[in-house]
Amino acid sequence: MNCEGQMTQVTPARPNPGLFQRNQPIAGEAEAIEAAKRGDADAFAKLYNMHKRRVYTICLRMLGNVSAAEDMTQNAFLHLFRKINSFRGESAFSTWLHRLTVNLVLMQLRKKGLNLVSLDETINPGDDDTPKRDFGSRDPVLTGSVDRVALERAVAALPPGYRMVFVLHDVEGFEHNEIASMLDCSTGNSKSQLHKARLKLREMLRYKPQPTAPTESAK
Amino acid sequence: MTLSENIDFDNLKPEEFENVLPDLFANGDGKVSQDPRLKKFLAKHPDCAALVRDLETIAETARSLFQPVVDPSDRVWENIQTKLREESISQVIETNNVTGSAEKAD
Repeated sequence: MNCEGQMTQVTPARPNPGLFQRNQPIAGEAEAIEAAKRGDADAFAKLYNMHKRRVYTICLRMLGNVSAAEDMTQNAFLHLFRKINSFRGESAFSTWLHRLTVNLVLMQLRKKGLNLVSLDETINPGDDDTPKRDFGSRDPVLTGSVDRVALERAVAALPPGYRMVFVLHDVEGFEHNEIASMLDCSTGNSKSQLHKARLKLREMLRYKPQPTAPTESAK
Repeated sequence: MTLSENIDFDNLKPEEFENVLPDLFANGDGKVSQDPRLKKFLAKHPDCAALVRDLETIAETARSLFQPVVDPSDRVWENIQTKLREESISQVIETNNVTGSAEKAD
């Protein structure tokens, strides 16, 4: 489905339910980490090239703005290079880096007045944003598949609170308890926001018949 | 105890179903449509079954978004290099200052 409401028949890749094949070790990563800990500039460049896309994508999805996402990517890597000696290998390096990135994004959002005021607000968006459900009537439904690009656009258009929880849980694979601790909300709140986010996305993605273009005779 | 543990699945109403749906998704690996306790209910309520199917599709497609497709601009790495260079220069200056002070003190 595109942004205008037409569903395209693209079948998404279906990963194993509940199995996130993520954060696999990357060839040469361990050596690059050790070299970077010794201050090797080439190793920094290697680590940057290995992880720049993931870090940038997380920032872009969470901040919804290219320039802010690039600044945050820069911050995340600078932070990484300054703190790399504190990486002990207890989790995958990419997991550690992604968590560091998410925390930096959230910290920045909290620092900005509007977000501190509205972190609760964005976590609990106003009634206008709440997806409407009416079990008495038949909803238009998705046609069994969702185009990746359409979903990406719809996610970008979600209210910030919904978007944050959706990206962290459904895209990044964080658990509700982890999200709750990152966002300083309850696990129940995280579950509920995720559900509302998915409902909102459904509303945005489902097929809507296009209005017929006015004919000459109708003008 | 979660909300979904108290459900009477045999007498579940669509409104109640929606209330417990976030919990059902969170506790069942996201595969609500395959929950045997809901088989009869979903067969009886096609709107609820369609809702579950759609939400599962959205969640599954979202996982495919994990693979990033966009690179940041070259400017990002250039800025990082500049900052790191500045920091290492200032570290050298600091080290030299410390060493210089120590030598003077000697």
